[in-house]
Amino acid sequence: MAETASITPAATTSGARWPLFVRRGFGLLVGAVFVYAGTIKLLDPLRFAADITNYEIVPWSVAIRLAFYLPWLEVLCGLALIFQRLFSGALLVTGTLMLIFLGATISLKARGLDVNCGCFGTVVNLGFGGHLVLDLALLGVLVLLWCWPR
Amino acid sequence: MRLSLGRQLLLLLGLAFIPAIGQAILYRHATSWSQPPVDSAPVSLSQAEAWGSSVLWVDARNDEAFERGHIPGAVQLNEDRWDDLLRGLLTAWAPERKVVVYCSRQTCNVSHEVAERLRKEGGLTNVYVLEGGWEAWQKQHP
Repeated sequence: MAETASITPAATTSGARWPLFVRRGFGLLVGAVFVYAGTIKLLDPLRFAADITNYEIVPWSVAIRLAFYLPWLEVLCGLALIFQRLFSGALLVTGTLMLIFLGATISLKARGLDVNCGCFGTVVNLGFGGHLVLDLALLGVLVLLWCWPR
Repeated sequence: MRLSLGRQLLLLLGLAFIPAIGQAILYRHATSWSQPPVDSAPVSLSQAEAWGSSVLWVDARNDEAFERGHIPGAVQLNEDRWDDLLRGLLTAWAPERKVVVYCSRQTCNVSHEVAERLRKEGGLTNVYVLEGGWEAWQKQHP
């Protein structure tokens, strides 16, 4: 009995440490992706506005306003995920953004439009399949972080 | 102090407005807020066809669309495989030729991006974007 009592606290501490480490690692990873994606877009908002317009979902007048706002939101949420501040809010915003991006990307393919997704400006162009996989992977990590016991 | 989820959301969504508005003010004269910028070198299909054999058609669509059909003699060049495809274009290119880039339709943007890269990175001057793209060609040549 005494032996059990001496082992349990150590096991609990060890068990609690690694999930926290992994959680921070995932937060850092997904946060870095959002900071990178946002930074590239905010450096050329007019190009990003053109990319949004290509989806043929919103007119230019809306796209140009989104092009100035969304990159900053991505950077801010990415930083929140990295530094674990406003974490739940950042998870919810980025998760919602990913769902919107996924829906828009799939609708592009369904409508046969051959446009660049604009996800990473013109620096990275993964094509439809690559972007779909990346979006799903990011969404998966975000869901995992959301469900992770805090 | 731990903020509720609602307050966190409001804070994040609100904070993003501050730099966004600042940047929008900096760009206020750089673009129209109601109309998209007009491409500097659009060309109509009839004009491009009138140039005859001096036109080098460049198809900026993806592989799948190109294989389904393209303008006769067109070379493919897109940002997915830029380095690979650029060799093919350079083989067909000559200084006196007019490069006309097209994509699926009027509203697609890849032709503009390819044309811009050819101008900036390739230093080509006779680069145009076909108005209406492949859709316009198909209407004219059913």
